Amino acid sequence: MTPNKLVYKNLTRRRGRFIFTLLGIVIGMASFVAFMAMGGSLKAEIERESAALGANLVVTPKGSCAYEQVSILTGEQLPTTITAAEVATIRAIEGMQAIPYLAERSAINNRPVSVMGVLPIETKEFKGWQIAKGVYFPTDDAEGAVLGAVLAEQFELEPGDQVRVRGTMLPVLGVLEETSGKDDLTIFLSLPQAQQLYQQNDLVSYVAVRVDKLDEVDLYAMKIKAQVSLGVVSDKQMLNSVLGIVGTVNVTLQLIAAVAILAAAFGIVNTMLTATYERKREIGILQAMGAARSTIFRLFLLESAIYGLLGGFGGAVLGLAGSFFVAPYISQNAATSFVKGSQTSVDPMLLLGAVFFSTLIAMLSGLYPAWKAAKLSPVEAISYE
Amino acid sequence: MSDAIIKTTGLSKEYGRGDTRVRALRGVDLEVPRGSFTCIVGPSGHGKSTLMHLIGGLDRPSGGSVSIDGQEMFTLKGKQLAELRAKKIGFVFQFFNLLQSLTAAENIEAALMLAGVPEVQQKQRARELLATVGLSDKVDAKPGQLSGGQQQRVAIARALANDPPVLLMDEPTGNLDSSAEAEVMTVLDELKRQGKTIILVTHSSEIAARASYLVKVRDGRIEEVVTSRQVLKKIA
Ligand SMILES: Nc1ncnc2c1ncn2[C@@H]1O[C@H](COP(=O)(O)OP(=O)(O)OP(=O)(O)O)[C@@H](O)[C@H]1O
Ligand SMILES: [Mg+2]
Repeated sequence: MTPNKLVYKNLTRRRGRFIFTLLGIVIGMASFVAFMAMGGSLKAEIERESAALGANLVVTPKGSCAYEQVSILTGEQLPTTITAAEVATIRAIEGMQAIPYLAERSAINNRPVSVMGVLPIETKEFKGWQIAKGVYFPTDDAEGAVLGAVLAEQFELEPGDQVRVRGTMLPVLGVLEETSGKDDLTIFLSLPQAQQLYQQNDLVSYVAVRVDKLDEVDLYAMKIKAQVSLGVVSDKQMLNSVLGIVGTVNVTLQLIAAVAILAAAFGIVNTMLTATYERKREIGILQAMGAARSTIFRLFLLESAIYGLLGGFGGAVLGLAGSFFVAPYISQNAATSFVKGSQTSVDPMLLLGAVFFSTLIAMLSGLYPAWKAAKLSPVEAISYE
Repeated sequence: MSDAIIKTTGLSKEYGRGDTRVRALRGVDLEVPRGSFTCIVGPSGHGKSTLMHLIGGLDRPSGGSVSIDGQEMFTLKGKQLAELRAKKIGFVFQFFNLLQSLTAAENIEAALMLAGVPEVQQKQRARELLATVGLSDKVDAKPGQLSGGQQQRVAIARALANDPPVLLMDEPTGNLDSSAEAEVMTVLDELKRQGKTIILVTHSSEIAARASYLVKVRDGRIEEVVTSRQVLKKIA
């Protein structure tokens, strides 16, 4: 017999209660881990998109806020108020490259997809795209669509097929190589064609800017602002404000999970207190056998710690599995739409942290019952029937 | 009685305060010789169990002292007192002595664990002890699968686990029928032969008849101590 074995025997003597208490902590930890994992992959995805944008500065309509910045990274529809004249002014500034985009939406088989109007030749070079199938736009105002790799595969579209964009059938010219970003899920049109289809004559949504000398980013931001009355954000500012929004969403979700864990913790308190009352006489016997109060305390604390250990492990596994399977279903709004197509990464630190955290919670929950058990006087415990 | 293993002086115990105050023991001076079989008898509620609890260090007295093997008990701190219980004293109570989730052998192993015996030596010792109380075939039985007499014999085996010099038994057969009591008495005879010091509370005249000393308790005091030669006469 060892203290661990004794604890194990005591834990499993009331199977039903053991399992239900454990389920409580498993579910609480699972939701916590799932939200953490999703939040983590969301963050990674946003950072990837920001890098994929390939810009140091983004010119947005005047007065745009964080929501528009999220939309730039997610490919949501954006208000288009930047005029051709403004684009031309920006593009005339020396020492930097400026690429305008028109971000719109369409639907294929009732599923929403992003549509982007681009300057074919410059954008391809700017983004470093490669063609996987078919051809790219032969000219800057060519008819037809170039598709992202995942979108083409999803809707089984090949070069030569037709794709309907805003009610107009367009030939599929080619399919891009995978970029593992949102470009994979986008229909690209030449800017003139997109403007015509969406009746946005001469207007674009935003302009991505890459400066030649990185340490002069601020200088160029000021130069742009001096010439046009538009918003200018650096990629870092944009990243920070988007991550800020995502962070708020994450914190909210984690608070919900924290409430679930708190409820589970009270479940442990309840179970352990019940065990203390049930085993009152046995505690007296143990004391008569020579167990010190500290020994009783440790046995009970260890018993509740096991709930945390098993619950943390079970919760982490279930939570990671959950975030993997559930994530696609919650990717319907802008803030979480990144999750689609992204792989939930299994972070061993998250697993370890979950087990550690829930063990800590369980031990805290066990403190009071263990103290109650340890402070029982042997005579009182033995006289109890 | 020069070689007293247990000695109490002016031992008293009060429960409660004010109107609810109960004076369970009112100054008990008792010397228990090493290797003796002492029975404590007396009417219900007169302080027999209270005396046993104090002798065993399960409770602290309101006044007076207890020493075991010359060691003053109540100057010890809780942890040391617990250690003393593990090494010097074996307890058997009237009922529900066993840890219900453990088998007969495991109950004994738990006692060995608490006295610091390493796990590898526990199994062998538990089997030996169960053999001495005639329960070699019940090693893996849970308390619920044992009769009352068998449970008490396991409890005795467990009390013997750390080879303590003193065994304290509070009505060990109080809950048993006469045949089960006979089983326990056989074990007690063997322990007597081995020279254990046994202090036993009982209402059974059969057991009292085997005592070397009979201590009669009344109203929290020792009314009379009868030595073995007189015991049989007294009982009859
Ligand atoms: N924890 C307690 N709190 C208050 N009073 C107590 C407590 N334990 C015992 N008493 C009282 O102390 C007195 C002695 O009790 P004790 O249990 O020692 O009697 P006993 O001789 O063992 O009786 P029995 O033969 O019925 O076991 C009784 O009046 C009892 O009510
Ligand atoms: Mg009693």
